[in-house]
Amino acid sequence: MASISMQHIVKKYGDGFAAVNDVNLEVADGEFMILVGPSGCGKSTLLRMIVGLEDITSGDMIIGDKRVNDDAPRDRNLAMVFQNYALYPHLTVFENIAFPLRLRKDMSDDEIRAKVEEAAETLELTEHLDRRPSNLSGGQRQRVAMGRAIVRDAQVFLFDEPLSNLDAKLRGQMRTEILRIQRRLGVTTVYVTHDQTEAMTLGDRVALMRRGELQQVGTPRELYEHPLNMFVAGFIGSPPMNFVPAQCVDGELRLPFTSFELPTEMREVVGDREYVMVGLRPERFEDHGLMEASKADTGQVFEAHIDVVEWLGNEQYAYVPYEADPALMASLADLAKDLDSEHQRSQLVVALDPASAISDSSSAKIWFDPHRMHIFDAATGDNLTRELANAH
Amino acid sequence: MDGNKTSNWWTFWGVLILAWAAFPLLWMFSLAFKSPDTFREGTPSFFPKEWTWSNFSSVFSDELFTSALRNSFGIAVLATLLSVIVAMFAAYAIARLDFRGKKLLLSMALAIGMFPQAALVGPLFNMWRGLGIYDTWIGLIIPYLTFALPLSIWTMSAFFRQIPWEMEQAAQVDGATPWQAFRKVIVPLAAPGVFTTAILTFFFCWNEFLLATSLTSTDRARTVPAALSFFTGSSQFQSPVTAIMAASVVVTIPVVILVLLFQRRIVAGLTSGAVKG
Repeated sequence: MASISMQHIVKKYGDGFAAVNDVNLEVADGEFMILVGPSGCGKSTLLRMIVGLEDITSGDMIIGDKRVNDDAPRDRNLAMVFQNYALYPHLTVFENIAFPLRLRKDMSDDEIRAKVEEAAETLELTEHLDRRPSNLSGGQRQRVAMGRAIVRDAQVFLFDEPLSNLDAKLRGQMRTEILRIQRRLGVTTVYVTHDQTEAMTLGDRVALMRRGELQQVGTPRELYEHPLNMFVAGFIGSPPMNFVPAQCVDGELRLPFTSFELPTEMREVVGDREYVMVGLRPERFEDHGLMEASKADTGQVFEAHIDVVEWLGNEQYAYVPYEADPALMASLADLAKDLDSEHQRSQLVVALDPASAISDSSSAKIWFDPHRMHIFDAATGDNLTRELANAH
Repeated sequence: MDGNKTSNWWTFWGVLILAWAAFPLLWMFSLAFKSPDTFREGTPSFFPKEWTWSNFSSVFSDELFTSALRNSFGIAVLATLLSVIVAMFAAYAIARLDFRGKKLLLSMALAIGMFPQAALVGPLFNMWRGLGIYDTWIGLIIPYLTFALPLSIWTMSAFFRQIPWEMEQAAQVDGATPWQAFRKVIVPLAAPGVFTTAILTFFFCWNEFLLATSLTSTDRARTVPAALSFFTGSSQFQSPVTAIMAASVVVTIPVVILVLLFQRRIVAGLTSGAVKG
């Protein structure tokens, strides 16, 4: 077991493209670190540099207390689970798991057998040991790949999008499984994913990347409640945060669908900016009709035309279109591209209590608390309200 | 009904093509069992009236044939072995590494494959005599290697390419040296490709005639296809045709056995990778 320290890690390709640019990241001993970001953000490249499958252009990669930049993968003693599992199809499950042990040549057959059986026990693979990978289901293959990782006492576990080939239900199960095993073994783990749900549920800490650069590193709660910028705010959370262009005039904040007096502490951080981006999480909205009067008074209510309602059982999403200045929407389109999402139409997504009787193509009163909105600089995307206690 | 009609049509063509392809073989087989004295008699028949083994015994008692059989086996096996080993490494490098002149190498290999062998016979004959390897095993193995390698490299690199690179990377992360990863993971996975290539190369060397007649002059290195053309039969008053046919049957047997043994492998080898399995 070991900590990982990445200092000024850069990966530049021959054509000058920097896949990973000046990344500084510390992974503590025993920590579960998630690397997350949209596709092409360099998270997999960074992982492959940790394991040694990708050369490091510059910077220091320190595992334990040893600089491993020039070590071959086999000298780093790390275990990795690949996206397509990379099981050896010509070997049985037993031999697949035993493969790393056989290479070491310092273990007797009995020791290897004991180790493999122990790992198989942990992963509930015991009755499949004599089968070949091609006869296994996706979840079982996934567990074999993990077996190959845990059977050797590796310093660090690395996962490269291990669940992306599984169907949704199995993905949930395996996610818990991975977490359980990591907690039990207490091994330092770096886990790459593009799925924000996996990032939020698994990680002790999450490192969010964009275009080869780290955006923010912190606990899932920090990233959700105190995002550094619009990118982080838009990536973390599902459905994603609504970004609404707003105008600030004399302490009044004008949104396309409502206007209200800015709370004092927010007025300070906004300063003399005229245009800002307001971030509103869908789950912060409520149906005014269902609220107690005492609570309703603390927030802002506006009349909305509901376009479509999606009822999911545990909650429902209402879509509220609005008109906005096209010039302001342009910067949102850029962001949407970075977030791998479709270009956002100018609409609010509002998560409501499933009991709410709001229906398609109707009018409704929607409530939200201005104290819990985020305000971003329209040009840089920086979160202006990050330091404010209430803003989450 | 319509489907039945088309399938009947296909069966008809299939039988026709089969007859077309099998007739010479059957004819050869039948001649091999006819008596050398009577096969040209006035009332010919397709199958021999009297089956006789005499052609085979006369062929096997002929030093010309038995030594040729030895030569054929030795040369074909050695050339196949060498070619497969060299092609395996070359193909692996071509599939996995990015190096200068890779395209050139591949197109050269293809060009060699297209080069007419007949144009090389004269120069080779002179060179081989100068080098003192005329009429030796090595004198045949070298040109066989040259002509077999391009095809082997092309087929095998296609096989290596379809093995996911992650396999090897996984092996390396598991603690394997590049050589161990190659030997324990890549080679077993490429085995069908290696088999296919080996068999095709063996057939090529086994059947080759032009170089075998031109670069040999005695029993030392003459292979069966070349030796057959020097056959005289057991006496000069007899036509050698039936004996030649018996010898042909004998040399066809290893090919047939190989195909029967490995036919599933060959088919799997030639078609795998066509669709993602």
